[in-house]
Amino acid sequence: MKRYPIFRVFRREVGLLIASPRYLLLLTAGVLLVFVLFATMTSEGQPLRLPVGVVDLDGSYLSRRICHELDATPGVRVERVYQNHLEARRDMQRGKIFAFYEIPKGTYNEVLQFKSPRFVLYNNSAYLLAGTLCYKQLATMGMLATGAVQREVLRKKGFSEEEIMGLIQPVAFETHNIRNPWINYGIYLMTTLIPAVIAFVALMHTGYTIARERKRGLRSWMKKAGGNGLYALLGKMLPYTLWYSLLALTANLVMFGLMRFPMEGNWGLMVLSTILLVWAAQCVGAFIASCLTDAPLTMSVCALYSAMSFSLSGFSFPIDSMPGFFQSFSWLYPIRHYFLNYSHIAIYGGGLHESWPQFCALLAFSILTVAGGAMLQWQLKVDNRRRSEKRGKEVAV
Amino acid sequence: MNKIRLILYDIWEVLSTEVRRVFRDSTVLLIFFIAPLLYPLVFCMMYEYENVEHLPVAVVDEARCRESKRFIHKMEATPELTVAYRCCTMAEAERLMQTGDIRAIFLFPKDFSQRIAERRTAHIGVFSDMSSFYYYKAALLGSNAVLIDEMHTIELERYGDAGVTGEDAQSQMMPIASEERTLFNPSGGYGSFFLPALMVLVLHQTLFLGICLLCGDARENRRSLQIIPARLRVRSIHRVTLGRALCYILIYVPLCILDLWLIPRWFHLPQLGNLYNILIFILPFLLAVIFFGMTVGNLFVRQKITPMLCFVFFSLALFFLTGMVWPQDSMPKFWLWFSYIFPSTPGVQGFVKLSSMGAELSEVSREYLTLWIQAGVYFATATISLILIKKFKIFNLQ
Repeated sequence: MKRYPIFRVFRREVGLLIASPRYLLLLTAGVLLVFVLFATMTSEGQPLRLPVGVVDLDGSYLSRRICHELDATPGVRVERVYQNHLEARRDMQRGKIFAFYEIPKGTYNEVLQFKSPRFVLYNNSAYLLAGTLCYKQLATMGMLATGAVQREVLRKKGFSEEEIMGLIQPVAFETHNIRNPWINYGIYLMTTLIPAVIAFVALMHTGYTIARERKRGLRSWMKKAGGNGLYALLGKMLPYTLWYSLLALTANLVMFGLMRFPMEGNWGLMVLSTILLVWAAQCVGAFIASCLTDAPLTMSVCALYSAMSFSLSGFSFPIDSMPGFFQSFSWLYPIRHYFLNYSHIAIYGGGLHESWPQFCALLAFSILTVAGGAMLQWQLKVDNRRRSEKRGKEVAV
Repeated sequence: MNKIRLILYDIWEVLSTEVRRVFRDSTVLLIFFIAPLLYPLVFCMMYEYENVEHLPVAVVDEARCRESKRFIHKMEATPELTVAYRCCTMAEAERLMQTGDIRAIFLFPKDFSQRIAERRTAHIGVFSDMSSFYYYKAALLGSNAVLIDEMHTIELERYGDAGVTGEDAQSQMMPIASEERTLFNPSGGYGSFFLPALMVLVLHQTLFLGICLLCGDARENRRSLQIIPARLRVRSIHRVTLGRALCYILIYVPLCILDLWLIPRWFHLPQLGNLYNILIFILPFLLAVIFFGMTVGNLFVRQKITPMLCFVFFSLALFFLTGMVWPQDSMPKFWLWFSYIFPSTPGVQGFVKLSSMGAELSEVSREYLTLWIQAGVYFATATISLILIKKFKIFNLQ
């Protein structure tokens, strides 16, 4: 084994890691913290009991009943019943409530006189998730209230129950939310964000370890690799590939196993996809670090690049609805391919037949490592030439 | 009088040294000036289209009746949906869904027309792609609009058949009318929700990182004592903290005006507040971030390149901790307390309320007060950490 330069560099890197494991431990702890944060925060699936308000200008039997029924729905709770619009709006601006119903004066009388009073539903969508959820609950509640009144009237007119249903709701949707029927926010967030964070950290750490090597001078590292830039990079990256793949796989095992997130497809493909994600992210880091010679600049560029990875994975806002440039640009991010793989494999149970382009793309990131290796070798050559020129001058003097 | 002059002179000296250090360091310049310019612009362009439009969907029309065809036509007319495929079987549509050609399937079952004829409730199956919530939202939004419209049409027909017509039918169909007003982000767009928070986070992260970097740089070159003028005694060391803070404030106030006022204006983000309020609010935010950065930098950063390794990936967690996604009210208490370590939490909350929701300063008093408390606490810790460095010469030796 000792004869292989990759293995020599690998052993050197592992030795360095064992000698000062501070950052490896710190970053692993960081990843763990993020995992625990998301897992505990989203453990209920959706934020429950969101605060909403009712502006009850009517103060009748009907309006009070609506307040009670609203409070009884699991998604929201009535934080306060307001006497005027202004107070409710101010509380909305303070972020105390996310939506409110305004029941105008004389509602009950108008209902009794078949005059169709008008409810107004205000919701705050500056908080997108909370606003949308509250809106949904309140709108449903409004529909139910309407339906209840309608049913009462029709029943008194002598219609049968089935006729009433047909009159109130002639067409209805039967929704099937594929692989996430509970609209669980945790499933949707964690399956992409956790691998994204791990890929982010793997990229930064690879960049860091190469940048640090530069500070000491490339020579001792390159000597171990027999002067071959590619071997030097591969040997250096492998320990991190192993460690972060292990982390990502464990995270996936916990999510799809322990936490029972839906997983339709082939486990093997998912494992492969996870390892390739870590690898591809590392390739980007290695490339940036090989091209730039200034260590802090390397880290900044790595950070600038990675900070956009969460958005460009396309899990939050779909890539197809972004301007054309970003649609192409997202291909430069390994997490984008991982996300597509996840949706093909885990959600739809597809196989290689659907996801081969993504696997190819992830593998194609390896080209960056080759280019980085060539870059390193060239830098070493220039460095050596300069050194020998200098030495030549000294001899001449 | 003399003493005040001396204090001012000390602060001036630290300030001028710090300005020189900032402008000599290309990495710090990149983080202080390029990143807060680049990110807001790039992200604003990225989320230029706020909502998903023309979501490709497939319909499986097994009913092939007048009502189902009318429904499909109306769906085609919504801005959210485009009927990209009409499939004969469900299996065919499912295959299209797997390859990502369509994002939702609408199934009109065989008994659809029969149920409508029998005046019972007819059902339409909706299968939506849950890989991104925006697909689900667009599919639901578009089809719901059609559903409500179609319900009214059919309802009116049925009431007519039952002998109720005209205004009578209208009022019986709609015993309570309901009107919806979405405030502060009328289109429910992703950009209008995400970008204001992002602006504050970008300022937070770049300022924090830059300061940590400068601390790491000083430590690395064993110059920790050089940034503390030698004649300063332990009791007056807070002048160093103040002088450095002043330098960063001078750099960041113009950036704040740009990121929090001008860029949102150019990209038509919701903006109900005024610049004056925003600036008053942002001052304690900047101070809190600066002193927080100095504390962390003085205590923990030993190398110039490690802050980026260790802190950048945490930005994502910071965003979730602000409570913009998962409301603070529903957050586990532990994380709520944890989130108040970071100035970004009250900073984002307050800024969104001021700018997007048009709140007055009095309505964000809680956030404002929190920021001042954070600024005070971190000022103390930053100064204490400097005293430790000077007095015991610890931390600065590798």
